[in-house]
Amino acid sequence: MKEWILISVILPAVMGVCLLLASFAENVKRSETVNRKNRRRDRQTGEQGTQFGLHCFVGIVLALSVAITFFTAYGGEKSLVLFPLVDGIPVAFRTDDLSCFFVTIVGIVWLCAGVYSFRYMSHEGDEKRFYGFYLLLYGVLCGLCFSANLVTMYLFYELMTLTSMPLVLHNGSREAIMASLKYLFYSMCGAYAGLFGIFFLNRYCDTLDFVAGGSLNMTTVSGQEEMLLVAVFVMLLGFGAKAGLFPMHAWLPAAHPVAPSPASAVLSGVIVKFGVFAMIRTVFYVVGPAFLRGTWVQYAWMTLALLTVFMGSMLAFGEPVLKKRLAYSTVSQISYILFGLSLLTPTAFSGALLHTAVHAFVKCGLFLTAGVWIWQSGLTRVEELRGIGRKMPVLLWGYTVLSLALVGIPPTGGFLSKWYLAQGAVQSQTGVFRLMGPAVLLVSALLTAGYLFPITMNGFFPGKTQDGSQPPQRKDPPAGMLVPVLLLALAAVLLGVIPGPVTKYIADIAALVCR
Amino acid sequence: MDFVQNLPFISILLSLFSGPLSSILNAKWAKRVNATVISVIGIFSATVLFYVLRTGQEFVYLMGHFPAPWGNEIRVGILEAFMATFFCLIMLLCMFGGIAEREREIEESKQNLYYIMVNLLLSSLLALIYTNDLFTAYVFVEINTISACGLIMIRQNGRTIEAATRYMIMSLLGSGLLLLGICFLYDLTGHLLMSNIKEEVAILAATGEYHIPLLVSLGLMSVGLAIKSALYPFHAWLPDAYGYSTVSSAAILSSLVSKGYIFLLVKIFYRVIGFSVVCDSKVVDVLFVFGIIGMIMGSVNAIRESDIRRMIAFSSVAQIGYIYMGFGLGTQEAVVASVYHVLSHAATKSLLFVAASGITDASGGSRNFLDLTGAGYRNKAAGIAFSVGSLSMVGIPMFSGFISKLLFAQAAMGHTHKMLPTLIALAISTVLNAVYFMKTVIRLYTPVSKEMPIHEHRVIPLTEQPVKAGALLCFIVLNFLLGLNSEPVIRLITAGLAMFD
Amino acid sequence: MREWLLLAVILIPFAVAVLIPLLPFRSRNGMLLFMEAGVLLNSILVFVLLSLHPEQALTVFRFTGNLSITLKADGVGSLYAALVAALWPFAMLYSFEYMKHEHNEKSFFLFYVVTYGVTLGVAFSENILTMYFFFEMLSLITLPLVMHTRTREAILASRTYLYYMLGGAAFAFIGVIFILTYGSTSSFVAGGVLDPAGLGGRMELTEIVFVLCFLGVAVKTAVWPFSSWLPKAGVAPTPVTALLHAVAVVNTGAFAAMRVTYFSFGTKLLRSTAAQRLLMGLVLFTIVYGCSRALKETHIKRRLAWSTVSNLSYILFGIVMMTPAGLAAGLAHMLFHSVMKICSFFCAGAVMHQSGKSYIHELDGFGRKMPKVFCSFTISSFALMGVPGLCGFVSKWNLAKAALQTQDAMAVAGIAALMISALLTAIYMLTIVVRAFFPGREFEYGKLGDLKDPGWMMLLPLFVFVIAMFVFGLHSGPVIRMLEQITAGIQ
Repeated sequence: MKEWILISVILPAVMGVCLLLASFAENVKRSETVNRKNRRRDRQTGEQGTQFGLHCFVGIVLALSVAITFFTAYGGEKSLVLFPLVDGIPVAFRTDDLSCFFVTIVGIVWLCAGVYSFRYMSHEGDEKRFYGFYLLLYGVLCGLCFSANLVTMYLFYELMTLTSMPLVLHNGSREAIMASLKYLFYSMCGAYAGLFGIFFLNRYCDTLDFVAGGSLNMTTVSGQEEMLLVAVFVMLLGFGAKAGLFPMHAWLPAAHPVAPSPASAVLSGVIVKFGVFAMIRTVFYVVGPAFLRGTWVQYAWMTLALLTVFMGSMLAFGEPVLKKRLAYSTVSQISYILFGLSLLTPTAFSGALLHTAVHAFVKCGLFLTAGVWIWQSGLTRVEELRGIGRKMPVLLWGYTVLSLALVGIPPTGGFLSKWYLAQGAVQSQTGVFRLMGPAVLLVSALLTAGYLFPITMNGFFPGKTQDGSQPPQRKDPPAGMLVPVLLLALAAVLLGVIPGPVTKYIADIAALVCR
Repeated sequence: MDFVQNLPFISILLSLFSGPLSSILNAKWAKRVNATVISVIGIFSATVLFYVLRTGQEFVYLMGHFPAPWGNEIRVGILEAFMATFFCLIMLLCMFGGIAEREREIEESKQNLYYIMVNLLLSSLLALIYTNDLFTAYVFVEINTISACGLIMIRQNGRTIEAATRYMIMSLLGSGLLLLGICFLYDLTGHLLMSNIKEEVAILAATGEYHIPLLVSLGLMSVGLAIKSALYPFHAWLPDAYGYSTVSSAAILSSLVSKGYIFLLVKIFYRVIGFSVVCDSKVVDVLFVFGIIGMIMGSVNAIRESDIRRMIAFSSVAQIGYIYMGFGLGTQEAVVASVYHVLSHAATKSLLFVAASGITDASGGSRNFLDLTGAGYRNKAAGIAFSVGSLSMVGIPMFSGFISKLLFAQAAMGHTHKMLPTLIALAISTVLNAVYFMKTVIRLYTPVSKEMPIHEHRVIPLTEQPVKAGALLCFIVLNFLLGLNSEPVIRLITAGLAMFD
Repeated sequence: MREWLLLAVILIPFAVAVLIPLLPFRSRNGMLLFMEAGVLLNSILVFVLLSLHPEQALTVFRFTGNLSITLKADGVGSLYAALVAALWPFAMLYSFEYMKHEHNEKSFFLFYVVTYGVTLGVAFSENILTMYFFFEMLSLITLPLVMHTRTREAILASRTYLYYMLGGAAFAFIGVIFILTYGSTSSFVAGGVLDPAGLGGRMELTEIVFVLCFLGVAVKTAVWPFSSWLPKAGVAPTPVTALLHAVAVVNTGAFAAMRVTYFSFGTKLLRSTAAQRLLMGLVLFTIVYGCSRALKETHIKRRLAWSTVSNLSYILFGIVMMTPAGLAAGLAHMLFHSVMKICSFFCAGAVMHQSGKSYIHELDGFGRKMPKVFCSFTISSFALMGVPGLCGFVSKWNLAKAALQTQDAMAVAGIAALMISALLTAIYMLTIVVRAFFPGREFEYGKLGDLKDPGWMMLLPLFVFVIAMFVFGLHSGPVIRMLEQITAGIQ
């Protein structure tokens, strides 16, 4: 049943669009009633009932789509070719191991963040619009995961940018709008740089379909290698924009603080991973790692990645606003993954994929945690969180576990992924990077510890309260918000405790593509 | 000898003697006589043209049957007859187009004087066209100058007197140089009759004797006529003379008088010196350079001008530049183009002058550019005519200007060195023409806004000046004819030039 | 007999136009019905004509010797005619509603309809002189449309417009003469009419003349440094800006450039000469320059006009590649850009018509009040940016593909220019979209009053164009194949 692919893309997308239309119609109607007071009252009376219905609807649709997606992904390899989009290249879908891996991450994160947002979004307003785009984006991401060739991937990549932007500007403040535009333009810049490369690959590859190990036609390439290398490098930089790679990382710290927390969570947890995904598809499935191995492009890529790892950590270390700090942390952590990819060895590739999963869960969890603090007490800055452990111990424990995973303390998943990364670096034939890579990763891990743990420490041990007031009442967040965080923390730990199935799955992919 | 062969001579005499006749008539009758004379001569010339076309060869008319070198000859070919016809037509239309202005601007008592001048001018033009004698040509050049002066001065205000004086001085300088040239040539060859001179010059050119004097004489004659026809650096007299005289004078001066000199120059090139000799000399290169400078500078000056009449006058400088550039190219096709441009410019420029007078009439007599706002709505005939003239000047297909531009460009193509300069100059000049002519057209169709100081605007319906409207219509038709049906005209010119050799 | 249809479709608009002031219409609707019927009839005739596929040329009029006004429907000409014929009735419909409140609409419609005939004349020109003839006529006939409002601004703009147009034609004229003199024939022949032997080693001269001529016709296409007329001409009523200054007039420039390059001078002669490089450099610069000017512009129509400047140079980029594939890609962009840009202009016009606002910062919150218009605008923005699935992507793809096939370093640099331009397009279009849909939390919708979507006459064209964008974007195969067929023989 190959049509299941299409259903898993279309179902959430259509539902999302329906919600959007409903929201739009509602807004139009509301804006027509000029009197503002009336509007307030209408809103408060009608709100409660519809909200519950909305949540049920979204929950059911989300669960159903995730189920369908998993069913599609693990129900055997399928492929589906739709109409030709351009130049005889069709819009086509295929489920291979890599797409299953990514779609799983997306599904889990989407469910957790979705459940969380039921509570969170009630104070942000305009929920229908949020869920509309949330579902639509899920459909787009499924399409992106399942796409079978570069053009289809590019199509969904652009759509991803366009549909995720409204999530960033959700609260409608001036900073949010400016940040979303920044996000949009960085992403567009990246997408066009990617398209630039796709044009070249279209000429020099046998096919733009994804073939493990690449499909470069060496006879056409001969004599034009240098040009193609430049094109591939531009592509890497372009997709790097989404992944927060060094010269194009500036949108992350701008977009995350202003977006609603579930939005930042999926943005940081999942969307940036699709920059990584696009790079994997390009390098390992179209160009082929063999073509890049030992060229300046590989070294430049590595250098940029290491630079970003270090720089991201340093910036996070000095950042007082929690969500911005987490955003910088994302910049740094994604470049771990990119570093792993740039080594072009199977071990490092496995490490990169594993870190993708770990980081997705962890960073999503961390942003959700930060969201709770904002939601419940409006705390955004790190120093305001002093003593938070007294108020919400369970949540802070969750936070601590997540931090441990990110820093890479055994037995969490983070340790495992970083181990693979370091091992891959040492095994690789990359000269000075063999040692420099692990060293930078280590330093960065220390910095990560440096910017994440103080919150835990100050949260549980605030020292003397300055004004000598009563210790705050314990006030745990509602279960709807707490549980997703804990689940994500659990997932991060589980990846480290029973890594067997996952690592094997990943190692298979790595062996296939790193020829 | 057919009777028709007498007609050119009769035409010259007719116009010459209708002058004195007009002096005893009052203005009204003088006007009628004048119009009749021009029409009759036009018909005569047309008859001659048909005669020449039918016989297919030129004829020589000996005055009093004295053979050369004592007698005086008239020589008529296709081109001469055609030019005479065309000039009569234009002159008639100019006279009709400017009736109202003449009656308003010229004192009642002097009006018949005006017609005397016009008659004299016509006779001198005809003589310039027909004569085969270089000295006769000189004599009529002077008559031409004097009558032209009269035409300028007859509208008496300070500026015309000044303009006429200027014109006089420059023209006399030109005639002086021409005379010098003729003297040199007489000295070299011992003849004054064109055909005889040509034979002698051919011998001189073949032997290479007297190379420098020949060159000097050719140069003197060319420069003399260039001054008289206002080639660029010698154009100082022109804007005032055209700008301030009464409209029919301006139209006649710009479209006929200067063209008469140019035609004389063509005759000198072909029938006196021999075209191949001219082409070998450096004179053509000089003319080429000045022609191109004139094309550009005339337009630049026109752009800077805010007085519509002076603007059109400066445009004449540019157009004369075209013609001399054509001579400068020194090929048969280029001269055809130049002669064609003489025709098309004559038709267009007089149209513009007459239309401009209609426009200024509708704007309270002001010629200032800003006051003309919206004049195209007030005087519809003049507005349309001005637009047509402008489009022709810019060289839009369907109008006569396009064909001459086309011919110039095609002629330039054969040339190795002069091709690109010519083409680029043509293009730039087109742009510049577009700038000032289209600016004016747009101004004419801009509605008057509230802020502008209201000048004495006045709506002139079509019926108020039917004669002028008719003249304008004829001009427009003429323009379209030249633009759409150019092939016969070009064939005529080519055949006529072939007869010159 | 079929050939006479060529003349008929050019003359019918003239006849319709002449009848507009002459016929005594009882009501405005009667006049509109008459015009729409006339234009529609003409469009149908054009399509009938194209389906009949007349092979013969029709000589209408002879100037001198071999110079004549001759009409013929060949591949590219038919394509262009079809484009024009498809767009005109819709634009007409749109302008009926738009012009309701403008004064002097009779004279507007008169010239608007005549332009249709003249544009078809350009499309069906058989030789270079005929094309030049219609080319000049187009400049003049559209002048009254530019100065329609007769404001000071409009007058100044129309002046600039005319100077550029006539100036461009003056330089194009050099090329026309060159072809008339040295070409084996003045007709358009695929592959050019210049014989290298006949030029007698005047290759440099030929290149200079070609550059002058190309730039001359490309003035209409607003290539840098002759681009400033286009934004200025935006003072005209929107139907004019949309149809003429995004489609008919400017595409005529591109079409003429194509004719000159492929059918007169011949690409064999010009490929990889200094002339080609120079032109490509200018074109690439224009692509980026137009976009960056659009970015700075705050007036919505002028911003779109600068965007047009950039997009027109896409077409020229395809043309100066001087390969059949490049030509096909350029023509594809000509088709697609027409649809996209006319749509976005119509949206801008609808906004101006409904609200009187024309600056981008005044458009806050319009998306909610005029949802249909702004959804169309958003889609056309996406198309202009080159989002896959819409037609803009297809033409970008083909342009890039053709550029890569040339193996020319400059053409490859052109791909980079395309991408930069796409990014800038995203910025200047999406800022409008975001503003309109997300005006910010504090925005008071009451301020906008009872703003609403315009009537069906304005909306129908928009919807048709939006659908066309999707159709071309998702199902571009047939169009591209047809273009490849048309251009296949042209070396």
